[in-house]
Amino acid sequence: MPTQSDTLRESAVFNLSGAVVMVVDDSPFSLTLTTGVLSGFGVRPAYTVSSGVQAQSLLAEKPIDLLLIDTDMPDIDGFELVRWLRRSGPNPNAFTPVIMTASHIRRGRVAEARDCGANFVVTKPFSAAMLLERILWVARDTRPFLEVGDYLGPDRRFVRPELYEGEERRADRLRNNMVEFA
Amino acid sequence: MTVITHVQRRSRLAEMVDRPGGVSVGVALAQAQANLGGLRDQACAIIADNIAVLLAEPAPGTIEALRLDLAYSASNQIIDAASPFAMDDLCTAAKGLCDLLDAAPRQGGFDWRIATVHAQAMKLLLSLPTDAAAPRAAIVENLAEVLKRKLPVQSQTAHQAVQPAA
Repeated sequence: MPTQSDTLRESAVFNLSGAVVMVVDDSPFSLTLTTGVLSGFGVRPAYTVSSGVQAQSLLAEKPIDLLLIDTDMPDIDGFELVRWLRRSGPNPNAFTPVIMTASHIRRGRVAEARDCGANFVVTKPFSAAMLLERILWVARDTRPFLEVGDYLGPDRRFVRPELYEGEERRADRLRNNMVEFA
Repeated sequence: MTVITHVQRRSRLAEMVDRPGGVSVGVALAQAQANLGGLRDQACAIIADNIAVLLAEPAPGTIEALRLDLAYSASNQIIDAASPFAMDDLCTAAKGLCDLLDAAPRQGGFDWRIATVHAQAMKLLLSLPTDAAAPRAAIVENLAEVLKRKLPVQSQTAHQAVQPAA
């Protein structure tokens, strides 16, 4: 996986011109800001949507390549929208890369942010460079989707197994130490 | 616990990102900055409006929970507007206030003087020249002290970047 310095090398070239991007944010000014930044990256957002409900109906019909969703919205908030999306299969958008943006996450909602199924949650302030880095990162994100209990989304572990030299899993170690009763 | 793994095919985004054509990172970032440049004044106006909301006296009979939510929303909008323009000290001040408001008891008892202090500090940060590093740092430091005294330690980290992990 490319590191941040690789993906953001000034001369590195990327092509997102054909990407169908949807931006969901209830703040008109934030929508303008995000659209302006994306235009700079050569992306013209196909859908700029100000409510979760509107986003849901579009996501059920239109194929989307990348979603940028604000966490804090009045009707269906960003976490709820992503949870719904991940469970909306066979809708092909169920696996669409999602970057969530947050001004501030309330203390009681941190776990929700982690468990909603987004590929990445970024809190502000973030620069245009950081947004681009995250977009390129999720574009190359190869993590499988996991369904574990209530969670459905990209594998939340960022471990790199090739760097790990110990025993494969703690579960294996436990199994080895188990006493079998005849 | 049962784990179901959905092996997904490469996304369209992954396929297109390395296609011929496109734009270099340097050019993309320069274009993005140029697009944002024209919006800076509008962002400053939004920040000023929301600081005014924070400094305004509440309407008589306003329920404490509603007042907290309104102030939280105003602080949020300050972060939204300030974020793309590298006004990091303003964002820090607004985030600190969000932390305090989030931790405040909904039934009442929040010391609203803290919100006023934050709002006045943000007003000052907005008016100071960007190169006035020392006074800007002093303001942020003082607000950090307020936060340290008024907020339990675990709440101070709640706003930090959340990255889906383990």
